[in-house]
Amino acid sequence: MIVRFISWLRAHMLLVKGCSYAVLGGMIIGDLFIPRHHAHFIGDIIPGFWAAFGFIACVLIIIVSKWLGTAFLFRPDDYYEAAEAHKKASEGEMK
Amino acid sequence: MIESLHAGSFFFHPALLFFIGACILPFLKGWVRNIFLIAVPLAALALVIFLGYGMHWQLHVAGLEITLGRVDRMALVFAHIFCVMAVIGSLYGMHLKENWQHVAAWGYVGSALGCTFAGDYLSLFLFWEGLMVTSVCLVWMRGTEESLKAGFRYVLVHTFGGLCLLCGIFVLYFKTGDITFGPMISGVPVAAWLIMIGFLLNAAVPPLHAWLPDAYGSATVVGSVFMCAYTTKTAVYTLARVFAGYDILIPLGVAMALYGVVYAVLENDTRRLLSYHIISQVGYMVAGVGIGTEMAINGACAHAYAHILYKSLLFMGVGSVIHVTGKSKFSELGGLWKYLPWTFVFTLIGGLSISAFPFFSGFISKSMVIAGAWNDHLNWAALLLTMASAGTFLHTGLKVPYFIWFNREEPLFEPPKKEAPWNMMAAMAIGSYFCIMLGCNPQFLYSMLPYPVDYHPYTATHIMESYQILLFTMFGFFLLLGKLKPKPLVGLDVDWFYRRGSTHFMNFCRNVPAAVDKNFMTTLHSTVALPLLRLCSKIASWHDTKVVDGFVDGMADNVLKLSRNLRFIAQPGSLSKYLAGMLTFLAATVLAAVALAIY
Repeated sequence: MIVRFISWLRAHMLLVKGCSYAVLGGMIIGDLFIPRHHAHFIGDIIPGFWAAFGFIACVLIIIVSKWLGTAFLFRPDDYYEAAEAHKKASEGEMK
Repeated sequence: MIESLHAGSFFFHPALLFFIGACILPFLKGWVRNIFLIAVPLAALALVIFLGYGMHWQLHVAGLEITLGRVDRMALVFAHIFCVMAVIGSLYGMHLKENWQHVAAWGYVGSALGCTFAGDYLSLFLFWEGLMVTSVCLVWMRGTEESLKAGFRYVLVHTFGGLCLLCGIFVLYFKTGDITFGPMISGVPVAAWLIMIGFLLNAAVPPLHAWLPDAYGSATVVGSVFMCAYTTKTAVYTLARVFAGYDILIPLGVAMALYGVVYAVLENDTRRLLSYHIISQVGYMVAGVGIGTEMAINGACAHAYAHILYKSLLFMGVGSVIHVTGKSKFSELGGLWKYLPWTFVFTLIGGLSISAFPFFSGFISKSMVIAGAWNDHLNWAALLLTMASAGTFLHTGLKVPYFIWFNREEPLFEPPKKEAPWNMMAAMAIGSYFCIMLGCNPQFLYSMLPYPVDYHPYTATHIMESYQILLFTMFGFFLLLGKLKPKPLVGLDVDWFYRRGSTHFMNFCRNVPAAVDKNFMTTLHSTVALPLLRLCSKIASWHDTKVVDGFVDGMADNVLKLSRNLRFIAQPGSLSKYLAGMLTFLAATVLAAVALAIY
């Protein structure tokens, strides 16, 4: 049942994409008609603010994290294991 | 309704059920064991529902008042979810042939319940250490060399936290003479800091957090489902009890929420990614505790409740994939949608819940914390927490399902023939039910919270705001999909300091102090120290022969001379001289006596 549904969606990729864009557009248009009683913050008044916020947050998180990773943090997958293997080998030499 | 259930004075410690059950379990087999496995957590859950408010099971030990059963609203909401989770987790592990993982897990659940109902620091500390001892067994039972090492690191880090807590308790006792486990008294800053460090370590607040992805990524499949629920949430409970309204917790919590998100981008291991999201989610609770208003404390408790359900659901989904395929890395997975469709649906429900989609459990709890921040005019905290929630959806809602079930047409390995065992699927179904039920019926959870709730998550503005953030995050995800392709890399975290840092320290010792010793000290010894020593010995020997010997010889000569003269007077050696001396002495004595008598 689920497999058939997913297959159908994958077969009609254009339709899925079209619908997704329509929903995204609908979100911003819909935001124009939402009542605004309890505005805590300037963002609650501007229509589409949270859409922009979500998009920018997502892009920022990906780019900043990837930059941190490639600049400082990434190491090969066996980083810790390799260190231990090296240590064992050097201990063997010492003996 | 709930008030009337708890009105009586009935109390039996639910932890005791788990401890006794864990002792009986190894002797049971077959269907009896399977029924027992579900019956004990269910009985504990029923017990929690009927516990009466108040202080129970109080003992006086060496002048200290020990309270094992403090029942109030805050303890009950945590105990309730701990027991629900025990039912789900035990069902999830029912397929295991051996019982020892369940024994360890029940000991773990019992310890968490013990902490929840503890009314004094001493019993809290006892159960706190119990949490560590039982959960490390769940890591070690994986049986790999990696898990053995991760377990030892876990024990070492938690021993440090436990000792900080114990020191804090000692300082508190010596300053105030009171060990009641309650809001921190002002005027004992050292005790407050030490106790807070102990709690923050278990809540996995950076930089004291690296144990969490390390251990949860290497535990057994069933073990990590249990572990993701109890340790951090017990810590949130203790923080809420003792440090509600401590401002320092707000920036710490916000930093946690973002830290977990950043590291989740870098992570290639499925369970380690979920672990970083535990850190992120616990950040909301820590920030809620720091804000400290009734609304924020309610939010922290509600989020802990919802979090246990959806995070265990995610760990169960990913655990099933590991159970079936034996793979845990994103770079090795992908293309499983045809083969594990139900696991996909359950994991997606967990992902939507943690991302706070409307009508899923995260929505009704996470928004309470953020609303608490808005109401307290902490706009920066509210905005950053909202940003972190976009990141949560990015990873747990999108990255996890996409790279496990899609990304490739077909898996890289022999595709699995069938899904995980029925009990795993049933446990995930129950978890999913709770996630959706809480999302659609928030009153179920709100009626259990410590303070009365005047909060309505389902307003048009709030739903609209959430959908905008989430759907546009999704847009960004698919736009930057190429950047997120998993690579077989690890991101360095603060565990580097004790994993590689210790190696570097050893290398430093080997190279610097040892080399200094070998080269510099040896030369110094032969060129300076030895000649100096020789000179000293020469001076000493001269002094010995000339001064000391001269003095001693002179003394001996004089003694000899004196004794010769003395002998000439005292020991003449002739009888007549002795006799004359004695008679002289006798005559003198008689004369003296006569003189005395006359006088």
